[in-house]
Amino acid sequence: MLGHLFVKECKQTAKSLIYWLIVLILVFDFSSQLGDMEIDRKPEPGQEDYGSRISNDPELIMKSTLGELMEEYNRESYTTYPIGFMKTVTLDQEDDRRIGEILEEATGIRSREEAEKVIEAWYTAQSEAMNRNGKREESMAMGPMEALQAEPSRNLTYERFGELMDEADEILGGGSDYSKEYRENSAREPMTYEEALEEYDVLTEKDRLTGGYARLFSDYMVIFLGILPVFLAVTRGLRDRRAMMQELIYTRECSSFTIMASRYLSMVGMLTVPVLVLSLLPLSKCMSYAQTAGIQTDLLAFVKYIAGWQLPTIMMVTAVGMFLTELTDTAVAVLVQGAWWFVTIFASQGRIGGGNYGWNLVPRHNTEWNWQGFHDGFPQLLANRIFYAAGALILVVLTILVYEQKRKGRFRIHGKILGNRKSKSEV
Amino acid sequence: MERYWEIEKVNLKYNIPLHILVSVLLLLVSPLLMGVANLKAQDTAKVLEMYVALIGIVLLPPVFLPEQDRNIRDLVYTKYVNGAVVYLVRILGNGLLLVLLLGVYVGMLAHNGCEFPVGKFFLGTLAEMLFMGGLGLFFYGLCDHLVIGYMAPVVYYITAVGSADKFLKMFYPFSMVRDSYGEKVWLAAGAAVLIGTGVWCRCRGRNC
Repeated sequence: MLGHLFVKECKQTAKSLIYWLIVLILVFDFSSQLGDMEIDRKPEPGQEDYGSRISNDPELIMKSTLGELMEEYNRESYTTYPIGFMKTVTLDQEDDRRIGEILEEATGIRSREEAEKVIEAWYTAQSEAMNRNGKREESMAMGPMEALQAEPSRNLTYERFGELMDEADEILGGGSDYSKEYRENSAREPMTYEEALEEYDVLTEKDRLTGGYARLFSDYMVIFLGILPVFLAVTRGLRDRRAMMQELIYTRECSSFTIMASRYLSMVGMLTVPVLVLSLLPLSKCMSYAQTAGIQTDLLAFVKYIAGWQLPTIMMVTAVGMFLTELTDTAVAVLVQGAWWFVTIFASQGRIGGGNYGWNLVPRHNTEWNWQGFHDGFPQLLANRIFYAAGALILVVLTILVYEQKRKGRFRIHGKILGNRKSKSEV
Repeated sequence: MERYWEIEKVNLKYNIPLHILVSVLLLLVSPLLMGVANLKAQDTAKVLEMYVALIGIVLLPPVFLPEQDRNIRDLVYTKYVNGAVVYLVRILGNGLLLVLLLGVYVGMLAHNGCEFPVGKFFLGTLAEMLFMGGLGLFFYGLCDHLVIGYMAPVVYYITAVGSADKFLKMFYPFSMVRDSYGEKVWLAAGAAVLIGTGVWCRCRGRNC
């Protein structure tokens, strides 16, 4: 019975206008973000630039963090993530004065005017260096190549630097770039040929090329999958009521579990199909490059990442849509999921390089590189994905319970206006 | 005039309270999520354009919801007052609610020491609210489907966040952050067209 209903529900979904709109949006998302994706080539000796990487050098960390502090102090505006959401903080006079004192102790810069001069001098030097290297056009388009740095005072130790930054972070309400967690990832340094080659080897050997690109693909797709399934779930949830078929279905022999489980599985399955199909394009690009470069790829990498990375998000968003629609017989799930998506996306801003997955519904890893970050953050990511998959199943069980109660005549919202239904003539 | 006021009273009493509640809640929780005091113009624009404008999606698309049932719609269309007029009265009422909520919020920002051109930002945000709401209204009218009515502005918003003005060009909603207001004129004009076309789509083929 479950299998029979599942096939029926899949056919219903395939006839749904909303479903095809979702597919179109996913295609648009893919083509706009990954349509012109190029596979990274092996670094060659003598290249002008090999990219950059996070540095563990205390001197560089101090320079980079203090550069950020100097810039924000000069701007009189600080970006923080106190509860994971980007917040712009502007300080009152007393706190502003204390930040000024911290900056002075750490760098010797005594006033805002002095900070502004140092910043101007930095950008001028950057611009001149780029002009010398014939990169003016690139700099105009991408901004300066190196992040702003400030020279620490001669007698500033790394310990004292840590204390000062902790205090600055506390004044700003926590979650700033000066907290221990973020300042240690703030410094970047240019890579040498050997380092770039090592990173490329990691991508092609440990990630077998396809792993890195499957993560990048997942990163882009999961943004839209954090909201789109709710539209399908709400539409499906309201369809019976709109067509005035609810009572008829209630009287059927089929159990509430079978009806709801078949609906849920069909929606999750039908939403996963276009993602799988789209993944064939980057997979083919990887395969084509791997053949010429002699790399041993993992053919199933994209399937694994879709199942492990994207499916829990699809499951959760669909379950939220189903549960709230069944509970309220309204489209309120769209607003709830919209709010959740909004907080989720903005919470992950500034942490999209991978490794920092937390409990985000939409885990970000906006690069094909950083296998190490993925590897280090994997236990966290695994816990995250299991949590959402389990949460989705709990919501489905709750939906079944609500549906069962409605079949018994409880939780029913009567009335044509609240019921959001179509007339008999349209059935 | 009294007749129109009666239509709006019914709208306020039965149709829109939940949506007003959601909008007010969205605005009330904003200080927990983002800074709303002592902001520079660019940061204030970010708050207004990327957050506050979302209430346009909450308040405008549901104006067709009470007549979702075709029987009720047919009944309403047989009444002396034209169905399109009923919709327009509701749209005007909800639009005034947007003006009121936005006005209070902008007043709060100014009171909290944010430095920004109040009039420009107010009108710019209102244009974006009406455009996003109008987009929802248009698709709801076109497809007779509330969910599509919500989906269209949400996708528009995500596109703006993800791709900046690459695809949206003059309809890019977050232009005030860049101190550009030309886009807002396009959004206001687009809102008028979308709302008008949305109502027309809803009433097409009927003597409403």
